[in-house]
Order: sequence, then structure tokens, then C-alpha cells
Amino acid sequence: MTAKKMEKWENGIAGNEKESAPQTIAAFVRKAGEEGRLISESEILCEVAGANLLPPASPDAAREAKSLLKQALDENEDLHELTAPNGSLDYYSSEFMTEAFARILSLKRGGPRQLIAEVVRQNSALYPRPVPLDTFTQAPFNYSSGEILNELEQMRADEGYRDIASTTTSSPRVFLYSTLYLEPDHAAMLAEWLDVGQFENP
Amino acid sequence: MAMAKYGGWAGKVLHVDLATGRTRTEDTVEKYKDFLGGTGIGYKEMWDEVPPGTKPYDPENKVIFAVGPLAGTGAPCNGRTAITTLWPTCWPVPLVATGHMGGQFAAKLKYAGYDALVIRGKADRPVWLSIVDQQVEIHDARRLWGEGIRRTTAAINQIMGPETAVAAIGQAGENRVPMSVMICSVSHSAGGIGSVMGAKNLKAIGVQGTGSVRIAGDKGEWEKLIKYHLSLLGANNQHVVPNSPQPWSEFYEERSRWVGSKGRTWGGAPRPIETGTCDPHNLNRIAYRTNNAAYFMGEIAWQFTVRGNGCTSCPIRCHTILKVPSVSAKYGIPEVAQNTCSGLNMGRAFFKKFPDGPRGMTNVEASMVGMHLADDLGVWCNYSQMQRDFQKLYYEGYIKKKLGEKEFNSYSWDKYEKGDPAFLFEIFPRIAAKEGELGTALGLGTGYLLERWSIPEAAWAKDKELSYWKMGHPKHHSTEEAGQCGLLINLIYNRDAQCHSHSNFTRNGLPLAVQKILAAEIWGFPEAVDAVGAYTPMHPAKAKMAKWSLLRKELHDSLSLCNWMGPWVASPLKERGYRGDDSIESLLYSVATGDKKDRQELDLVAERIFLLHRALTIRDMGTKEMRTRHDTIPEWVFTDKSGKLPFSKGTTRMDRTDVQVAIDMFYDELGWDRATGTPTAGTYRKFGLDQVAADLGKRGLLP
Repeated sequence: MTAKKMEKWENGIAGNEKESAPQTIAAFVRKAGEEGRLISESEILCEVAGANLLPPASPDAAREAKSLLKQALDENEDLHELTAPNGSLDYYSSEFMTEAFARILSLKRGGPRQLIAEVVRQNSALYPRPVPLDTFTQAPFNYSSGEILNELEQMRADEGYRDIASTTTSSPRVFLYSTLYLEPDHAAMLAEWLDVGQFENP
Repeated sequence: MAMAKYGGWAGKVLHVDLATGRTRTEDTVEKYKDFLGGTGIGYKEMWDEVPPGTKPYDPENKVIFAVGPLAGTGAPCNGRTAITTLWPTCWPVPLVATGHMGGQFAAKLKYAGYDALVIRGKADRPVWLSIVDQQVEIHDARRLWGEGIRRTTAAINQIMGPETAVAAIGQAGENRVPMSVMICSVSHSAGGIGSVMGAKNLKAIGVQGTGSVRIAGDKGEWEKLIKYHLSLLGANNQHVVPNSPQPWSEFYEERSRWVGSKGRTWGGAPRPIETGTCDPHNLNRIAYRTNNAAYFMGEIAWQFTVRGNGCTSCPIRCHTILKVPSVSAKYGIPEVAQNTCSGLNMGRAFFKKFPDGPRGMTNVEASMVGMHLADDLGVWCNYSQMQRDFQKLYYEGYIKKKLGEKEFNSYSWDKYEKGDPAFLFEIFPRIAAKEGELGTALGLGTGYLLERWSIPEAAWAKDKELSYWKMGHPKHHSTEEAGQCGLLINLIYNRDAQCHSHSNFTRNGLPLAVQKILAAEIWGFPEAVDAVGAYTPMHPAKAKMAKWSLLRKELHDSLSLCNWMGPWVASPLKERGYRGDDSIESLLYSVATGDKKDRQELDLVAERIFLLHRALTIRDMGTKEMRTRHDTIPEWVFTDKSGKLPFSKGTTRMDRTDVQVAIDMFYDELGWDRATGTPTAGTYRKFGLDQVAADLGKRGLLP
């Protein structure tokens, strides 16, 4: 390392600049949130490396970076961590998105199948209501009809998705629901109410 | 002097006698303070001045245009004018009912110095009325008679100035077609009163005022209260979540009217305007949340949307201005039109299907043609009951059977069946002109149409698809919304209930668990609300919710607040647990008028107004047997086409025994006799209606 680089690093870890590393990480997360994105742990680690936030020739750069990330989380109550379906970690700022929205983006990383299933299950349990199939062609999902139909086909053969069922309204429009939370007749009735009934009762 | 003590009220009620041409005023607060304004003034005037047995078109009938102390102030959503009269489509006996119109009429009336305009008598020739502050004049309207609403409005604006609020009837009202409207501010319709105006030879009213509304309380406090109220607003119908997942939102509901979001654009504006994220904390973007054209017609409507429009001092802008260039060449109509809800659906709802599906271009064209015709001719749809009736009458062969061959063949039924909007040019003008058997029958309203065509009411009452309730009118947010609560609300009025207090809550888009938390706080128990289609047996909290819903409707109609938006008991704010504020009405009233009343005290005033409506109905029906003769329930409420039983999941079918329990609990809540559904003398006296009790007692109409 050159003397100049060492001096720069020593200045960086002294005084205010030592505290700026977690704040810089917080800024990465917030910037992604402002753009409507999550930021993954690996993306943050890249940003940390690129911004020279670590001491040069750090013996365990990855561990050091994760430590800074943890510090950023501890110091900034708007930063949150989510575990994606594949076990990887995502981060978001509640200044720019809710946990619910972040969870959709996180599930999206794992591909449409689990995302569709989780959204359908959550809607069936929480509101409760079935979900129009074409919801998944709109933002923030943005899948093509072909992709969605393909995934539904796969789900039918997969034991882990046996609860995902469909009902078709009179218009006709397909709705999905989870049999774990909604009975078929109730799902059908709600789908018809949402798709047709509410328009006829403005 | 009573007026100096209070703000809010303008101070005068204007009486106009069309027969004599005489006008007079009386002090609002002295006579009507205990009834607030709006429907309160309307019912009081009808009780005091219009004897039982009067018919809607009799000169003795009155039409009372009334607003409340909040009209014309900065309070959000205050643009409503309530209109009370004897209702021409109320069957088999016309009874008192109210309509409403938005726009700018309410504010202008207040700025002119009036809280109400009471019209009596009948002019000996067509006239129109101008009100400019204290200058009230009756003008010859023979030049305007026979013109549509648009030309009439333009003509009066030419005379009185472009800022004048003009309310006019079209040919339908002139011809005393019961299914007719009065329209003000281009698109704001008061359904059902057109023919009453026509029977009085009153073509239009133009109002302009140079005054203002005094706020009695501290102006800083008022300003803070307005901002607080704005912060609690959702989108139209107080839907408090967006219609798709948004970064700012924890919840969403696909059927929410909060449709503005990043990427959604008013494509018909001179330069397209993106509605953007519509974060609820940005109070300058409330007007971007709602697009009712897109809500009803589908995504296709965005490209034709110019912007939202609406009433004075309302940020919601629930009317959508559409610009559809293709209709000009295709149908010969203006390419711009605007309306909301049933107005947007006026043309579309006639058709069973369109060639390009329910949300294609044809549905947009049908909407444009419908608005063009109905809003100019002044035809009313009775909450789309006319269109539902029409479909049933056509497809089940009634029309072919009842019309002579010549008249039947004069319609292009092939166009109708194909879903061609051009068909509307054949039907609307005939309704407005009472032309032919079909035009005449449709214009009567459902009850009188059934009578004329010897169709038993029971045939309509058992068909769930028709949405018919009773007395010639449809349900309005009934069991499909809120089970027993919705049913109880639909028992009460002499036309469709027009109550949104409960449906604004059940459709607010929040998860059931959150709704139950709010319900427990407002009505005492989470059992007040059920999941739609998973109803549970009657609970006292549901009766409380029904009573609250009705009282708030009357309160809004008397204060001049919009019941299509309020009450504001839920909000989009996560930091408040999605709570709104059940005291908004009383806070606004207290600061504006200086008459401090808390929530419970103001609800008691609302209950007085509500009670007076009940008394009027009992008196004019001449019976105290309201439970069996008035508060009736159509048979379809107790059916399910799949045979599902009540209280099973997936049905809105009610249980007969449970419904009687519901009615018992409801009457108990109100202090009405269980057996008859009639308020007791004690209940009338509790609300200061001693004279009403005495009068009804003399008539043998107390329990």
C-alpha cells in the first residue's frame, strides 16, 4: 500500500469518517428504495468494496463488510433485513417501502412460482379474498400471461402447491385462491362480487 | 339577533311562490337550528307545510333545496345540496324522499345568503329563477322550454355570468316523466326531481352570490382542522388502500377506487399527466387518486381521461372528464363528457354484452353516448334500475308482448343485442318524450311500470339479479355489502337508501382483522362486521352499526358533507393503525358554527332528523304498521341459486328468523315499538318532537 493510500484510510477511520461507513451503506439502501428496488447483501458488499469503505488489505473483507452492514442496521431504524426464499438476504428502507412491498420484491427474486403462491395465500388468509390471475401481469409483478400459466401448470403437479386453486367469474375472469384459507364456494362468490358485483353496486 | 351568534349558516331561508311570484325569507337559525340544514330543513318544512294526501305534481307540494352550515366553507367534501319533496317514483303511494346534487350550487346558494330555497306553487307559464344575493327574480322561460339541459345552462350562464351555478331540467322533466333529473354544473344530477320541477313549470335555477361563509371559531384552529381532515381522506368512497401493491402501502385491494399510481396517466389531457405514486401523506395529490372512468370502464379509459372534476371544496374529483375523439364522427356527439358512477354507466348498463367485451372500446362509446343523451334530456336511471328492468323485460319477452307490432319493429333490436351504442338514440329520446308504450312505461319507474303492465311486484322481488328492493326502487348497498346491517339500512327509506356510511367501511380495502379492530372501537364489538359472504348470526353491534350508518347519512345530508365519502372512521395512515376520526363531523360543525357539540350530541341531532323522516312516512302512509307494510324485504334476500344455506360460506343469503331478530334489535336501538316499527311517544319527546307525537297521537299513529 502506498503512503498516500494508508493516509487516506487512516483519515477514513478517524473521527467522523469512521462513522460514515455504516451511513454510506444506509444511503445505498435508501437509494435503491427510492428507485423502487431492494438491495441484496451481495450488492451491498460490492458497493462497500467499490466505495473503499474497508481498510486496505483487510484480512477478512467479507466479514468486515458484514459487520459494517450490521452496524448500519443497528444505527438506522428505517433499515430492515428480509430473507429471500433462497436464503439470501435483502435490505430495504421503510422510508421508501413497506415490509409488504419489500416482501413481494424479495419473493420475486425466487421466481414466479413461490411469489404467486405466497401472494395468493396471503390474500386468502388476510382479507380474505381470491386474487385475479391478471394481477400478476401488472406492476410490481410484471409476468407475462404465458409465464403465469406455465407456473400454474407446474403447481398442479407439485405437492407443495396443491392448495392453489382457481375459480372463474361470469365475465369471465380467472381468480386464484388458497384452499388452506378459503372454501371453494366462498372463493367463487367473492371473485364474482369483486369482478362483477361491485361494479353493479357502485 | 340569532344570526350574529353563529357562523356556518348563511342566515336566511328563501321561499318562492311560483303561483303568486312572491318571495320572502325567514331566519334559518331561529326556525331550523335544531335540524341543522339540508334534509333536516327539508323534512321540517314538509312536516309543517305539506299535508298528507298531497301528490308530487300538486302545486301544494314543495321542493326544498337545502344545504348545511358547512356548505361553502373550506371543509373537504361539502358540495352537496339536498332536495326534499314528494317522490314521483315512490310506489304505490308517493311519499317524502330526498335527492342530492353536487357541483357548485350549494356554495353559491350560501354565498348568495341562503341556507335553503323552498319552492311552492306552480307558475302559469314556464319560468326560470335567478338568485343573485338578495335579488330574486322569476323570468319567462318559454324560450328555454323544450331545450335540453346543456343549452339551457349555457343560455342562463350567458345572462347571469359564467360563474353562476345553473341547475336545469331537460325535456324529460318538462314532460313530467317521473324518471327524470335536474342537473347542475354540467354533470351533477339530482335524480328523481325533474318532473316535480316540470310540474311547477320551473325550468331552471341560476344562483350567484358575492358573500362568504363566516367561521365562528378561531381561524387557525379551523385551518388545522381542515388539514387534519384532509390527512384522513382516502380515494372516492373513502377507499383507504391503493388498487395494486404500492411501495408506500401495507395493504391493497384490486377493487379500490384508489387507482392512481406510477405509470398511470391522464392520456386525454393536452399534455399527458402521470398520476404518480399518490402517497397518502402528500395532500397535494389527493385529486390524482381517483379515476372513476377507469374504475368502471377498465384500463382503456386512462387514454381518454382529461382529468377529474367535482364539487366545490372537494379534493376527491370523483367525476371524470373524458375526451373520446372517435365518438364525434361515429355518433355525431361532442367528444367531451364527464360524470361519475351511475352517470358513467348510464349508457353501458343497458347492454348485456359488447362485441369487444365488457371493458373494450364499445363500452367507452356507450358511456359517452349515454351521458350525451341522458344528461341533456334529463333522464334518470334510478341507480341503474331502469337498465336492469329493461334487460329483463326484453330478454324475457315482456316488451314484445306489451308493445304493438308496429312499435316493437320500430326499434333496432339487432343493434341492442349486438351491444351497439347507437341503439341508445332510439330509447332515451322516447323516454324523455313519453313516446310510445315503451318510452312511457320506462319513464314511470319500476313500481308504476309493473302496475301498468300487470306484472306482479313479486316477480321482481324474487329475482336477485334485478336488485329490486321495494316501493319501486332498488337496493342500495344491502346484504351483499354488510349482511344484516345492509338489510336494515334498506328498510327505512321511500326510495333507494343512498346510504354509504357502512359500505364505505366494508369496502375500504383493509383486511378483516383491521376492520374488526376499528369496528370494536366504533360500535363496541368486532362482531359488527363479518367477512363478505361469511355472515354470522345477528349481534347487537350490527344494529348499532346500522343505526350509526343511517344517522351519519342524515347528518351528512344536513350539514352538507358528502356521504359518498364519509364518515371518516378509517384512514390510509398506518401510523394511526388505519384509524380515521369518528368526531370529524362534530369538530367541523363546532368550529364553523361556534355551537359546540361533541360526537354524541351531534348524533342526537341527526337522530331527530331521522325520526322526523319516519314520522312523515307514517303520517303520509296513514299507518303505524311499519314493520309489516313499509319495512319489507324482497324474497331474493332469502335465496341462493346454488341452494346454499344462510351462515354458510359463499352466500349472502339471509335467514328469516335471524332477520326478524335483527329488526327487533334495530328497533330497540332506535326506541321504536318492536311490533309495529313505530317510534313511541316517548322517543319523539326525547328528541323535542312533542308536537309530532301529539299530531300522530291524534291520528292514531302511535304504538
